[in-house]
Amino acid sequence: MSNSGSNRGGTGWWAALRRPSAKYSLIALLTAGFAGGIIFWGAFNTGMEATNTLEFCVGCHEMRDTVFEEYKYSIHYSNRTGVRAVCSDCHVPKDWTHKLIRKVKASGEIWGKLTGSIATKEKFEAKRLQLATNEWERMKARDSIECRNCHSFDAMSPEKQQQTPYKKHMQAKLEGASCIDCHKGIAHKLPKGYKDPNAKDAEEW
Amino acid sequence: MKHRQTLLIAAVAASFSAAALAADVEAAKGLAEQNNCLQCHGIKKDKDGPSFLKTAEKYRGKANSEDELVKHLNSGKEIKLADGSKEKHKVIKTIPPNDAAQVKNLVQYILSVQP
Repeated sequence: MSNSGSNRGGTGWWAALRRPSAKYSLIALLTAGFAGGIIFWGAFNTGMEATNTLEFCVGCHEMRDTVFEEYKYSIHYSNRTGVRAVCSDCHVPKDWTHKLIRKVKASGEIWGKLTGSIATKEKFEAKRLQLATNEWERMKARDSIECRNCHSFDAMSPEKQQQTPYKKHMQAKLEGASCIDCHKGIAHKLPKGYKDPNAKDAEEW
Repeated sequence: MKHRQTLLIAAVAASFSAAALAADVEAAKGLAEQNNCLQCHGIKKDKDGPSFLKTAEKYRGKANSEDELVKHLNSGKEIKLADGSKEKHKVIKTIPPNDAAQVKNLVQYILSVQP
């Protein structure tokens, strides 16, 4: 009894937080909380979107001098219709939960930046196969959903697509294959030492 | 003596042409992988398209063989597939774009495939 009484009337920041307000009305507190929530949520999402832009991704030389240079020559950067897929369109999930998880995981890249693990082109090339494999595995685990945000088997026209790719796509659909199973290295160079597991005679190289 | 000299010249010439043909094999493989060539062409096995070996045997030793194959890879001309159907061959892409040296290197590799 005396304990709970002393808690309510105690000093310190925790006790102050727990003590009912004698100065502000409930409506004032709710309004302030509501407005604060909007501001926090807005700022959080704006921050998350800001880290999704092409400019942010190429802000560091590690990306700008390597994968960005290659991407600039790809169809996802420049094409007939003027639709561009930026880094995050392929490398960051669109839905909020998975996007947040990806962002948290990406914070590990800050450690890479601090330790300079891919600080030079040589270091980057030495790690390219490992880094690319990580990303391919991530895409495969999500059934290439970032590709499927724009591409779908059902939207492929047998008249407009050439016969060989159309045949292969329909076969892939039947087999439940994922885009990334075949389409690796479409926006960046394939790592040295990469062997296409689908090419049955790759061992002949 | 003269015979030995001829042999020497022949050996030097052969080593030079071999060097020219050897190309940069790793770079050639890289470009072929990048362009998914092996989806339709085997190195020695025919798939929807002829094997690299078959192409090498068809063109090897012919005048302009390199130029012909380079044109083939760059033009996207109509081709006949194993099942008799026709479609346009994929135009090869390089990074940076239109790097003739990379395409020529791949062609030299294809022409060098041996049974």
